[in-house]
Amino acid sequence: MRRFWGTLLLLLMLAGMAQAADPVEITLWHQLNYAERQALADQLAQFKKMYPWIEVTSIYRETEQLRAGFQNSALGGSGPELIHGPSDQIGPFGTMEIILPLEDIFTQEEQDRLDPQALVWYQGHLYQIADRLGNHLCLIYNKEFVPIPPETSGEMIRIGQENTVDIDGDGKIDRFGLVWNFTEPYYFAPFLSGFGGWMLDENAVPTLNTQANINALRFVQDLRDKYKITAANSDYELAHNLFLEGKAAMTINGDWSFGAYEESNIDFGVTRIPKIDQTGLWPGPIVSPRGFSVNVNIDPEKLEPTISLLRFLLSDDAQRTMAAQTGIIPSSKDLRDDPVVTESPVMRGSLYQLEVAKPMPIVPELRAIWDSMRPHYQSLLGGAIGPEEAARRMQEDSVRKIKEMNEITPPSPYVPVLYAVFAGLLIYGFWKTRRSFVDLGRDMRKRPFVYSMLLPAFIVIAAVVFYPFLYNIVLSLSNMGLRNFRNWEVVGFQNYGKVFLEPSFYTVLLKTIIWTVVNVFFHVTLGVMLALLLNRALPGRGAIRMLLILPWAVPQYITALTWRGMFNQEYGAINLIISNYLHMPIVNWLGSPTEAFIACILTNIWLGFPFMMIVALGGLQSIPTQLYEAADIDGASSWAKLKNITIPMLKPVMAPAIVLGMVWTFNNLNVIWLVSNAGEPADKTHILVSFVYKSAFNLYRYGYAAAMSMVIFLILLTFSLIYMRRTKATEAVY
Amino acid sequence: MANGKKMSRYKRKRIIELVLVYAVLLLFVLISVYPIVRVLSISLRPGDRLLSTSLAIIPANATWDNFVELFTKRPFLHWMWNSFVITTAVTVLGVALASTAGYAMSRFRFVGKKALMISILTTQMFPATMLLLPMYIIISKMHLLNTYGGLIVIYSATALPFCVWTMKGYYDTIPYSLEEAAMIDGCSPWAAFTRVVLPLATPALAITGLFSFMSSWSEYLVAAQVLRDPKMYTLPLGLKEFEQSMSTEWGLYASGALVIAIPVIALYLMVNKYLVGGLTLGGVKE
Repeated sequence: MRRFWGTLLLLLMLAGMAQAADPVEITLWHQLNYAERQALADQLAQFKKMYPWIEVTSIYRETEQLRAGFQNSALGGSGPELIHGPSDQIGPFGTMEIILPLEDIFTQEEQDRLDPQALVWYQGHLYQIADRLGNHLCLIYNKEFVPIPPETSGEMIRIGQENTVDIDGDGKIDRFGLVWNFTEPYYFAPFLSGFGGWMLDENAVPTLNTQANINALRFVQDLRDKYKITAANSDYELAHNLFLEGKAAMTINGDWSFGAYEESNIDFGVTRIPKIDQTGLWPGPIVSPRGFSVNVNIDPEKLEPTISLLRFLLSDDAQRTMAAQTGIIPSSKDLRDDPVVTESPVMRGSLYQLEVAKPMPIVPELRAIWDSMRPHYQSLLGGAIGPEEAARRMQEDSVRKIKEMNEITPPSPYVPVLYAVFAGLLIYGFWKTRRSFVDLGRDMRKRPFVYSMLLPAFIVIAAVVFYPFLYNIVLSLSNMGLRNFRNWEVVGFQNYGKVFLEPSFYTVLLKTIIWTVVNVFFHVTLGVMLALLLNRALPGRGAIRMLLILPWAVPQYITALTWRGMFNQEYGAINLIISNYLHMPIVNWLGSPTEAFIACILTNIWLGFPFMMIVALGGLQSIPTQLYEAADIDGASSWAKLKNITIPMLKPVMAPAIVLGMVWTFNNLNVIWLVSNAGEPADKTHILVSFVYKSAFNLYRYGYAAAMSMVIFLILLTFSLIYMRRTKATEAVY
Repeated sequence: MANGKKMSRYKRKRIIELVLVYAVLLLFVLISVYPIVRVLSISLRPGDRLLSTSLAIIPANATWDNFVELFTKRPFLHWMWNSFVITTAVTVLGVALASTAGYAMSRFRFVGKKALMISILTTQMFPATMLLLPMYIIISKMHLLNTYGGLIVIYSATALPFCVWTMKGYYDTIPYSLEEAAMIDGCSPWAAFTRVVLPLATPALAITGLFSFMSSWSEYLVAAQVLRDPKMYTLPLGLKEFEQSMSTEWGLYASGALVIAIPVIALYLMVNKYLVGGLTLGGVKE
């Protein structure tokens, strides 16, 4: 078998060389982790020797950016020739028709060589061929505490309880039996199949409200509450780090983590998640092939070299390189018996789990199902609802979301009227202001100095900002969605109707307003206060000022996540300070909605006050000291000076910062996303923009998202106009 | 006798005031610095661990490996160079355009002034997520994809609203009589602007410069749309390479983050003297 492929490869090489040797550039986008990228680099170096005229550029994108980036590029008519990603991207890509069917390019023999799961078919076409299977969760155990891994759920509970111990007697658990990212549905899914249930059927209809699923929900709840073998709230990083520190006997994690465990000094083993006693079934985690798809926009001349590259990367040699360096299961059937797999206990354990794993559903509906499961699942874990209620709500929500995702709004009958009215308004507008245009022309000729100062800035802004803005207005009136990705059309105001009829819109709007007002209030107050304190001659103020701008200077991503870590209930610094130094009860920061919201606000205040301090410091310089001197002579108190001199004179300089600060905070998705881990608990920590983000990115409801963006914009515009008029912020002080 | 008593009471009040001021400042310094120190711990800790159950600042087995790898095995310096080029251009352009446009908005009345002010502001109000797709389309249509120029243009455009408005606000606090006096003495309007007004507006220029710098130095979303070639990556894009769903290289990320902050702090220290100093606007009686 191998000789056959070797000769075929040789023939292809010769055929390739015999053809025109013009340099060809192929771009490959992927989301491979670091170890996998090293393997890819080796493979590409090998490929370059065989095909020196083909230049392959590989670009890494994080998984979600990969999907969005590819969609955007393909929609724009370009994009990379090849994309390597998980199979669940195929559903959306296939529906949008932005990837090429491959069934006529690869022969039956080539396809049979690979594990059937590696061939990803959707709606009758072969859209993706995978070189690796993985992403499946396995049971990972620390051999120091668990010399023999459990085979049944009963054993796992027993071993878990034996290993959940308070070693130093301080009342805190020092080692847990089992920690894993159990608050995330993906990490809960294996137990669904373990109890005989699943998320959806073969027609992509959700099947979340079944007795089997309810039993699974209760089981996971019991692991924490009844058997007490797992930590109270655990996210991915916490579970991962606890295991690495030797503070967890077992964990459930995927093949991407094996590398980290290998590098640590933990003696670990990999095996199947134990069989559920009540049903006798092995839990089946989701396994995802990860492989290659070809861009539908590919230049026809590049197709053949791209396929050569594909064939090379799918060959046994290339897959062996990959498996040896990464520990991930290759898709070639022959390699299953190869020493690279059989001689690695980790890979053997991983394969053992793979045997009962369930293939990742690739239909686009899956995203709607994850989004629906998550909030109710987390509500259940938070103790707000019971398993039956959780299952029922999950089912209801996913059915509704799928309907919304798939709907195709037909154009309303009044659309032509809409065009006519718009054209009319435009003409009317120009007619009414024609005098001003004449005046403008005259003025420009009279005072070229003024306009030459303004024009460059204006042109730049116009080109890059107004166009996307207009595009959005049109999109908001359209039906662009999953089914209408490339052929959308203007349909009228339906999207706006949906925005205002959405019940959670109003509560989230209120939350957003609170978020904005509280944040900006503290930013400005703290900023001005610190600026006032630092404006006087104090020894060491230079150093103090420098330290105070650190929150602004260090990239937000990691500081926000550090704050998230500090808010952890059991191990976070905040609770430790509260309990040890302030002797107050600890707070469940990230586990309950109000506290999580407060945590996000605190983090954002920390991030934002330095900049306000800088603006205030600058503004203070514009106040002439004679004014203070005069006030002193008149005997004014500090408070009077503050109220009558400082604040009024700071206003013009602080006004842009305050108004824009409000606008930026209103739309600041990053901090909330990072600190609350995308809306946890239970999707309750959201502001308006996160709705936009989720609708667009997860459910492909671009028209709806555009409409909501317009609504956000109008809210902010109205508020700003009112605020500026009331504080006369655009007028001069003198 | 009575005098002596009064003096010491005043002095005591001053000392208490000073102690309070330092106490407040110290508290805020601690609050600002503590999370950064934890980021340092992450960068010193082997094994890519974001969290730790211990509060120790210097972790067990602390090592400089991450910093070494950052500079030797990853193209971090390359990214830094790209960022420097782009950010310097954006800062210079931003300050130049904002100082002139802001001046015009402050001093002159012209047709559509209010409308222009509002429209400058409104460009900020749109959620960035929705702008990415059309931005990508117009960038590729204008052939600005994968060019420094494209990124510089876009960053300047997004930083300008705040910068123009801040400059205008600051110019508004400088009495026009100063320029009048200069022009009476024979200066042209441009010379009055550059020789009289601009030096007085240095605090606002400092703010504008810092803001333009930061808005391009730490920007990710737009850069991800425009720059396709890894050789052209800026620092935020480069740092993102360490980020992988579920297997982020935290050690490298943390060390990168700390190194990224250094030029920002250096710039701040350089412009600091313009942000303080108590200029006295003497010279013209009001």
